[in-house]
Amino acid sequence: MTPAVAVVTRTRSVSVVTQMRATMFRRALREPGPIVAAMIGLLAAGWLIVYAVRPSASTETLSILTGSWVLGWIVLPLLLGGVRGRVRPVHLRLESIPPAPAAYALLVASALGIGPAVSLIALAALPAHAARDGFGPALIAAAGALLLWLLGLTGSAIALEAVGNAAGPVGAALTGVLTGTAMGVLGSVWAVAPWAGLLLITGPPASVTAVLRWTPGFWPLDATAILLLPLALLVGAAFLAYASLVRRVLTGAARPRSRRPAPASPAHPAPAAPGRVTGSPGAATGSPGGATGSPGGATGLPGGATGSPGAVTASPARAATASAGDFARGPIAGVLGRERHTWIRHPLRLQYLAFALVYGVLLATLPMLSDVDLLAPWAGVLVALWAATMAASLVALDGTALWLPLTAPRGERSEVLGRAFAWLLLVAPAGILLTVLGILITPDANTAGVFAAVAVLPAVLGAGSAVPVWISVSRVRPVTDPRHPTAADNPTDIVSVLLVLLALVVTSAPAFSLSVWGPPWSRWPAVAVGLLCGFAAWRAAAWAATERLTRRGTEVLAAAAQTTALPTAQIPLTWDTEWARTHKITLGALALLTLGWIPVVPQGLMVLVFDIKGAWILASHLTGTAQTATALSMLALGGTLLLTGLLLWDRREPA
Amino acid sequence: METAVEIRGLVKTFGQFRAVDGLDLTVRTGTCHGVVGPNGAGKSTTLGMTVGLITPDAGTIRLLGHEVRAARALLGVLPEGLDLPERLTGAELLRYTAGLRGLDPAVAKNRSAELIEVLGLTKGAGTPLADCSTGTRKKIGLAQALVHAPRLLVLDEPFEAVDPVSALAIRRVLQRFVAGGGTTVLSTHSMLLVEQMCDDVTVVHRGKVVAAGPVSGVAAGGTLEDRFVELVGADVVGAGSLDWLTQ
Repeated sequence: MTPAVAVVTRTRSVSVVTQMRATMFRRALREPGPIVAAMIGLLAAGWLIVYAVRPSASTETLSILTGSWVLGWIVLPLLLGGVRGRVRPVHLRLESIPPAPAAYALLVASALGIGPAVSLIALAALPAHAARDGFGPALIAAAGALLLWLLGLTGSAIALEAVGNAAGPVGAALTGVLTGTAMGVLGSVWAVAPWAGLLLITGPPASVTAVLRWTPGFWPLDATAILLLPLALLVGAAFLAYASLVRRVLTGAARPRSRRPAPASPAHPAPAAPGRVTGSPGAATGSPGGATGSPGGATGLPGGATGSPGAVTASPARAATASAGDFARGPIAGVLGRERHTWIRHPLRLQYLAFALVYGVLLATLPMLSDVDLLAPWAGVLVALWAATMAASLVALDGTALWLPLTAPRGERSEVLGRAFAWLLLVAPAGILLTVLGILITPDANTAGVFAAVAVLPAVLGAGSAVPVWISVSRVRPVTDPRHPTAADNPTDIVSVLLVLLALVVTSAPAFSLSVWGPPWSRWPAVAVGLLCGFAAWRAAAWAATERLTRRGTEVLAAAAQTTALPTAQIPLTWDTEWARTHKITLGALALLTLGWIPVVPQGLMVLVFDIKGAWILASHLTGTAQTATALSMLALGGTLLLTGLLLWDRREPA
Repeated sequence: METAVEIRGLVKTFGQFRAVDGLDLTVRTGTCHGVVGPNGAGKSTTLGMTVGLITPDAGTIRLLGHEVRAARALLGVLPEGLDLPERLTGAELLRYTAGLRGLDPAVAKNRSAELIEVLGLTKGAGTPLADCSTGTRKKIGLAQALVHAPRLLVLDEPFEAVDPVSALAIRRVLQRFVAGGGTTVLSTHSMLLVEQMCDDVTVVHRGKVVAAGPVSGVAAGGTLEDRFVELVGADVVGAGSLDWLTQ
């Protein structure tokens, strides 16, 4: 390729790919999520700039903040489904674009988005801070900020391509750990805040500063132009790494779904190197070898396999010679065995488990940073609680596989009980162990609190095993691709999560109330009450789920198969009487989702958490218990309005 | 001869589209019965309703003299386009399906091993289903439909995307099943396959039966394919010139 042709190819590629990205981005903006993310990002970026220009701002702290920002930019899209709405190398697989121009074009296109725009603004904090030392340092910091931005852009693309898609279970578990950590820290912000405050005001300790000087986030602030060189080299290395990933996808050298190459044998010859015309990764049709029809197998690979990341592959010999002990004894054991395997292999289920474990443990233990050990015995309860809420959409995660129990004698009952027992076997040991550990590490913990945790645990475990099954067969949220789900396909439905949470809180309430507010002799009976409530909730939810599947199983199956969402009405930006007349449910949902925040935030949380008073805040006109009760009532009222709004939003009129 | 499947006045409507419109179907016990029709004729919807995976708007279905739910123990199903427990391997699917069907583990073990061997799944059965080719999935699906020794098999396009060698293996299994007194109902687009395998055939078009009976009777002395085209009244497309393709 001559240089002139190369330039034309590159320019054309950039233009086409950027237009594709622009179209995807425009469509993404129809949803409220990206707008909210942009507003939050802009607020955070604004705060960073304000902090940077303050005379008391610590250079080291700023470098930590900007470094964390770039790291967050690389990691957050993994958590928030950044693969969606992105032009990816696989989309160009059938196009005649060489790998290097394709990588360049993909990176240019990925710069079009909320993350890159907000990050560019946030990194302006670096030259703003360096300007106090003169024009030269500000110029170096500006160049460094640009290089850091390029590093974030390329790093984000690499992370999404390498971890978000290819690594499957590993990426999913990592996503769960990161999300759980972020939520855990946010949930314990009051305990972490004094440490963060110290960092912002006095800067990090000397030992941390010494290490900081070796991190890229610090180099733009060092006022030494030479330090921009390693930063530029890092950007170059990141680009080469990304180009290599793109090349592997475009040339078919990468088999993102394949971790274990299949051995060739005379009976099952290995396929010829798949050309770019044959198939795309993950697609059931057109996978390499899919049309070759080798003897004894439908594909060029032995047994027609196409490989899988992280999926545990049984050896062929073992597949045929499993012992009778490996076979399930009875229908419930059949479902239980299936679920047991699925929990440890399914990327999203692993993500949910990792999230529940990390989030629960951090919520319980981070307050100990501020010498508050009240929550430590609750670690097991919190882990079980989040594990249950994250299982609220589990049935749909399996796509339309529900047809199997629907064609087996009493299959509905087996399906429900098998799922419930599998969850219990998975979560109960962790819940019990963490509760015991929590009690052991806090010997001085409040006795009533310890008893409350012990009493609530069986209630949460009992309800947590069956209620999510009931909710997930009642509110089916199908996934786009049940065979190869990524973090982007997370079907977790907030209403289902809230319903599970509510059910678990209600189930736990009698045991909690008895152990905390009851007379001292009622503490052991409270444990029995927790057991009884958990058992009752388990029986009731299992019965309801079985009934639902027995009477409406075909509807549940049809809902799970509905993978393409029906188009919904666009909301006009100006008042439209005709639209309002024909879209009353949408209008009602919007009104409730807007008004619901008033009782929650100003009338509830501002009084309960921040003790803010004002003439228009109802609770501030009262004192003591009456004030707390009024604020709590407002919180409940707002929560009800928001939940109703969400339920209505689900039923909004089609386009 | 007894009736294995008896469907009367079956109706199913999706929105404005009437997928199945008063369909009657009778399948004799101990036969292989083909259901054919153009794309969108209502074959899969009919078979889905037959096995209880779709609720009909009207009509009655009796399988081996029972209501659909009561006949589950006697029924083996291979639907088209539905997912499987994708994280399991084929061998594991057989293991747990056998459990779901209440089979004794020792019996299940022997049957699974035999099915895996007969269907040429010795290597494919160790692969997660999510990563199996369509043909391998079909064979594993057929194995799970057979493992509990049903008396009635309902198979939706069992030969789609299956290579000729595997197709031959499946055909032999099905022929043995029917020879042993079992009944097979299968939908397909291959008229040749129906002529080779099936005793009876039902031609479905726009949700209604347009012809039914023994294959030779429906073919009326010609090939089934010609008769099919005639019955569904299709214009044979593809006769245009497309001269630009040869330039």
